Amino acid sequence: MKPKNNFFSFRGQFIYWCAAVLTISTAFPFFWMISTSFKPLQEIFVSPPYFLPKDFTLANFDRLFEQTRFLTYFRNSVFVSACTVLLTITIGSAGAYSLTRFKFYGREKIASLILFTYMFAPIMIVIPFYVLIKKLGLANTHVALIMAYTAFCLPFSLWLLRAFFQSIPIALEQAALIDGAKRIQAVIYVILPLAFPGIIATSIFTFILAWNDYIFVRILITSDELKTLSVGIADLYNATVIDWGMIMAGSMLITVPVLVFFVFVQRYLIAGWGAGAMKG
Amino acid sequence: MGLKLKLSAQKTGIILISPAILLIFSLLVYPVLYGVWLSFFKKHSFFPGQKFVGLANYIYLMTNSDFWMSIWYGTVYSVSTIVLQIVLGIIAALIVNEAFRGRNFVRGVLLFPYVIPTVVAIILWKWLLNNQFGLVNYLMMAVGIIDDPISWMGKDHIMTSLIIISVWEFFPFVVLSVLARMQTIPPTLYEAAQVDGAGPIRRFFHVTLPQLRNVLFVVILLRSIWMFTKFDTVWLLTQGGGAEKYIRTLPVYAYMRTFMYYQAGLGSTLAVIMFLILIISTAIYFKMFRREEEI
Repeated sequence: MKPKNNFFSFRGQFIYWCAAVLTISTAFPFFWMISTSFKPLQEIFVSPPYFLPKDFTLANFDRLFEQTRFLTYFRNSVFVSACTVLLTITIGSAGAYSLTRFKFYGREKIASLILFTYMFAPIMIVIPFYVLIKKLGLANTHVALIMAYTAFCLPFSLWLLRAFFQSIPIALEQAALIDGAKRIQAVIYVILPLAFPGIIATSIFTFILAWNDYIFVRILITSDELKTLSVGIADLYNATVIDWGMIMAGSMLITVPVLVFFVFVQRYLIAGWGAGAMKG
Repeated sequence: MGLKLKLSAQKTGIILISPAILLIFSLLVYPVLYGVWLSFFKKHSFFPGQKFVGLANYIYLMTNSDFWMSIWYGTVYSVSTIVLQIVLGIIAALIVNEAFRGRNFVRGVLLFPYVIPTVVAIILWKWLLNNQFGLVNYLMMAVGIIDDPISWMGKDHIMTSLIIISVWEFFPFVVLSVLARMQTIPPTLYEAAQVDGAGPIRRFFHVTLPQLRNVLFVVILLRSIWMFTKFDTVWLLTQGGGAEKYIRTLPVYAYMRTFMYYQAGLGSTLAVIMFLILIISTAIYFKMFRREEEI
């Protein structure tokens, strides 16, 4: 443990000032979003601006819920993200278990292919992907979105879960088998509990990716009632007159679930980061 | 017993990995190959049917000034954002690597911009940079830096705005990657440097930076790939401006060709060109900077 920098020394002063500037420049836009979302209309455009709402109001949220389909978008986002997480984790865990516990021809080649596809960006595949999805008759469905996200999340999920499974000693499984357990029992009672932190971390990275996506929804979904939050709010923003209070209220509600999850997972974050979990 | 574990290993192993491989192949690898194939065709984005045109799409783009402009804007955008992200990211990591009260809080807050939806980041900044009611113009005028409000979304400043927003959104990735590596640098190295009389700046250039070399190699590679192919941040900023033309990078141009002019063949050609540029620059990058002991 390094000693704390003394606030009164020159070095200490310097570090505290830098940290303050850093915090304010990253956090201030969020503060401003929250503050604006609770301001009544006339306060939003007042000059000089108030930093906090003088006349605290929930009217922006009322308008958001009553005049727009925000709640539908929210439900869609939750559904699509949850399905993506379930599918990715199931397929990813099975794959990662296979990559760490079995020897078969081409295993290392498969692992490096997965790492290579991790570099793919959505824009590089979205055009042919769209043409294919249309051919399959899946355009404008949530299934298309879930498929796209699962494919996109699989490379980093496999990579991440592989690292976690690798850290679990094979001897534990063998011990369970010697005690008469079936292989599937050994996996359920020995491996999964130990891999749990890794599974949680991977789930959250997957969730955030699906929750935040814009391009796939923009391209694959055309009906308003099937849109998810990113596109929903972007379209509200692009409507003729911008209702800043309502837009800020909506932005805040989209951000909250991500930040809550993020705070939960923070202690797993460094581990996941080391294995290259986040992309974007 | 160890024998029994290996007995049916080959088969079970392949069965367990096959769903993942199937999905990755059919939904990532196959579309890329299909895109290469499409780039030789004239194809409408919505209607079925296509016409083989050989290299016509490629030739058309080579003589198209919009295409070259998109390469230029894309290069300006990715180079400037990468340099700024790396410099700011290292500085920020140096700060939060120090011991001070509230350090964990600062580390948490620092990562927020990276995990929020891009749509939200863009909306927040469009509000802050609004030319009539935006806080940034108000503060700059109040302090006296400028006399008249700046039109941040206008043609003269939109690239600057885009760069500021992107650096803000993506520098946390650099901070966390670099910080993780900084924490593993043995303190004895610094002590030795201090005994030799090296000041803080020399310690940074002679101890910290060489230790960060490997992580920076990977971070610069990943960030370059992702900034060069960045679509949503750029596209969302172009919405409702009128200065769209001045930040039309290659990914945005590919999207527009496909979904606004309905030229899926030409759009695919642009995606293939993007892919080729990435592969070639990655190869050059590896040749220039990779050392034997890395990765």
